[in-house]
Amino acid sequence: MREGVGSRSYDVYLVGVGGQGVLTIADLIAEAAMEDGLGVNVYPTKGMAQRGGSVKVQVRLGREGIGPEIPERGADLVVAMERSEALKAVRYVKPGGEFLVFGRVWEPTRVMLGKADYPSLEQVGDKVRAAGARWRYVDPDELPSREGRPVPANVYVLGAAVGQTGLGEVVDADRVAAVVAKRWERYAAVNETAFRAGLEADVDGS
Amino acid sequence: MDHRAGESVVDNHSSSKKRLITGNQAVALGALRAGVKVVTGYPGTPSSGALGSLIEMDLEGERHVEWSTNEKVAFEIAAGAAWAGQRAMCTMKMSGLNVASDSVFSIAHSGVNGGLVIYVADDPGAHAGMVEQDSRGYARMMDLPMLEPMTVGDAYEIVQVAFDLSERTGTPVFVRSVTAIANSHAPVMVMEPVPPAEREPILERDITKYTKAGSAIAQAQHRDVIARLEEAGSAIREMKLNELQLAAEPGGLGVIAAGAMGPYLNEGLELLGDVVSRQDPISVLRVRGTNPFPGDEVRALFDRCDTILVLEELEPYLERETWVEARRAGFDGRIVGKIDGPFGRVGEYGVKHVVRGVREALGLEETGSGGQDTVWDEAEALAAARPITVCAGCPHRGTFLAINQALRELKLKRDEVMVTGDIGCTILGMNPPFETVWNEVSMGASVGLAQGYVHSGLKTPVIATIGDSTFFHAGMPGLINAVQHQVELTLIVMDNQWTAMTGMQANPSTEEAYQPPGNRRVDLAELIPAMGVEHFFVMDPFELETATATVKEALELPGVKVVLSRQECAIQAQRRGLRAGRIRVDDEACTVCRRCITVTGCPAISLGEDTIVIDQGLCYGCGLCAQVCPFDAIETVSEERR
Repeated sequence: MREGVGSRSYDVYLVGVGGQGVLTIADLIAEAAMEDGLGVNVYPTKGMAQRGGSVKVQVRLGREGIGPEIPERGADLVVAMERSEALKAVRYVKPGGEFLVFGRVWEPTRVMLGKADYPSLEQVGDKVRAAGARWRYVDPDELPSREGRPVPANVYVLGAAVGQTGLGEVVDADRVAAVVAKRWERYAAVNETAFRAGLEADVDGS
Repeated sequence: MDHRAGESVVDNHSSSKKRLITGNQAVALGALRAGVKVVTGYPGTPSSGALGSLIEMDLEGERHVEWSTNEKVAFEIAAGAAWAGQRAMCTMKMSGLNVASDSVFSIAHSGVNGGLVIYVADDPGAHAGMVEQDSRGYARMMDLPMLEPMTVGDAYEIVQVAFDLSERTGTPVFVRSVTAIANSHAPVMVMEPVPPAEREPILERDITKYTKAGSAIAQAQHRDVIARLEEAGSAIREMKLNELQLAAEPGGLGVIAAGAMGPYLNEGLELLGDVVSRQDPISVLRVRGTNPFPGDEVRALFDRCDTILVLEELEPYLERETWVEARRAGFDGRIVGKIDGPFGRVGEYGVKHVVRGVREALGLEETGSGGQDTVWDEAEALAAARPITVCAGCPHRGTFLAINQALRELKLKRDEVMVTGDIGCTILGMNPPFETVWNEVSMGASVGLAQGYVHSGLKTPVIATIGDSTFFHAGMPGLINAVQHQVELTLIVMDNQWTAMTGMQANPSTEEAYQPPGNRRVDLAELIPAMGVEHFFVMDPFELETATATVKEALELPGVKVVLSRQECAIQAQRRGLRAGRIRVDDEACTVCRRCITVTGCPAISLGEDTIVIDQGLCYGCGLCAQVCPFDAIETVSEERR
């Protein structure tokens, strides 16, 4: 059931801040899906800045030759790597879809200086629920460490998305793990730890 | 290319391989498959990845691939190769086509011998800034065929078709893409590259073809270019590049979907599902060849349908021609689009435009979002703004700070001194905390604009700012003009030695070691004085005090002054493991006055409990924060400056 329009389509809308590895998560999902023979289109949009700007990626799985943009209320899954950026994806989650937030806070300078507001976790959760989505929260404080250093957050969140949301029914966890291992051969062990821990991550669905 | 819309291009040839590639890479790999010999271009988002991927492939000597000084030069190189009978391609963003257009017009009228493909990427939605421009207008003005891919896989195929079409009809051919396709990644069956054909270079002396000397020649060429476009139109029809699917029953809706709208049409109709199937039959024309206008296919829609819906991003080019064609054919049904209908000419289109257009055309009520858009708007309003600034370690930071400090020391108010801006990372001086730069027009425009402000009678000094690649691209004529006319201004050339904003391409200022083998560096410190500039300074933007003094001195001198602010892009230097220094904060001395953050806006600095904190992974050690700290609480501990 992998060929043809609409047979097994699954859209993932990813947001975050430049430097968090959002584009990489999207690439890894796409690579695994392609190896599984699924149709894939990945459309990244980043601002001009190398780091610290808003980043979004639209991943469309299961259809060949699909248009790059996910329509409003079209995403089966949202993955937000940053608390405030999550708000920019509310428009795109499907009612009944899953909204995974990794609650890291990346404050712009004006917020850091107390000159601008930054949304509370509660505010973000309220908007996500108002859009009819299922809240899936991953606490950044739970990010595991290996040999005294935190593992890569993006690979951990990728694990959580595969292990704890419907994405796991579309791409195979072992396939994704293999793609991750192949991507960074030198860091295979730490990424393995991150990914496996993500698969089992404590996801708050309240 | 007769495969169905919505299907990627699949080939079972044994040497082929399915790869996850971008739309830009698809263009590059398609050109290799077509046996291209010469590829030139100038970087510009969203087009850069096409030529960029060829540069990275480190191709053998039988092909020539280069980043040229600007798009006009790039195009002329490709055109020269095509006149000599070789296959050539030139790549650019939409703004680049404005620069190249003078020569493209002329070559269009002369025609070509070898295949010549112009790859231009437009940016509906203006994701990367700049004018939201529809380059299809050029194809119309120039009488050149234009092909547009519907998907990433399509881009791979369509470039190969473009080369064949170019050689078959003797005309340059545009391949136009948009951001959504150029930057998307999708699996594509990629075939082995084909080496360039061994063709003896053609040396043909024929002033009726290769010059524009005189009315007779020029008018004959005008007739020729019109005839070639017509021939290309026939070829496009014959190849069925435009996919016409007529409903079995007469009546109902006919939809014209241009380029990237093709796949969205499938999805939109799928979403509408029952609503549509209860209605009259739907006929569809998916257009890959947007110039010349596919008149025959559109007339076939008129014959079959009652109403026409035109789906195209940006300007209503196909739509206007559809109106003209309707008049000629006596079609009196409604034509829904931008002229009569719900669509605007601004922004990127997607599935929702299909749904909205089909509903309008079928006379169905709009469904709306059921009040959800209020929730969406509120959510987005809560999100923190992220204005972009220069990277940690960016040398431009020092230049902006030096300009601002020099103005302060000269007792000049910032809102009294015009600082013109230019394209590239140097424009980030417009944003906080610097707010140094006032405007952004086009490549090189800062230098000309500044002269206009001088002639307007301003009593305060006028400053122009520009990057190295932009200066080579189109800033030099402006400076020569200023020298000739002796216009009193200060030009600050921010030389970071890379074309950075578009993804770190080499340019004439890049060190030879990082240029392709055999390339030579053009040293701005030699070039600028040779242009007749009397007052020329070189400064290090990481030395704030001397840099400020330099800018101040220049501002006080008469005539044309040029300051070359020189320090390599920190991103590139860091990629080679370099650091300018190492920064340490003295926790005791730090009063958390925040001056380092408010003045430099450096992303590597954040507030800690009772001291500021430097992210050592981000920090390049430029030392600017140490230089602005009023309490000597920040120091540069080891100088590894090159």
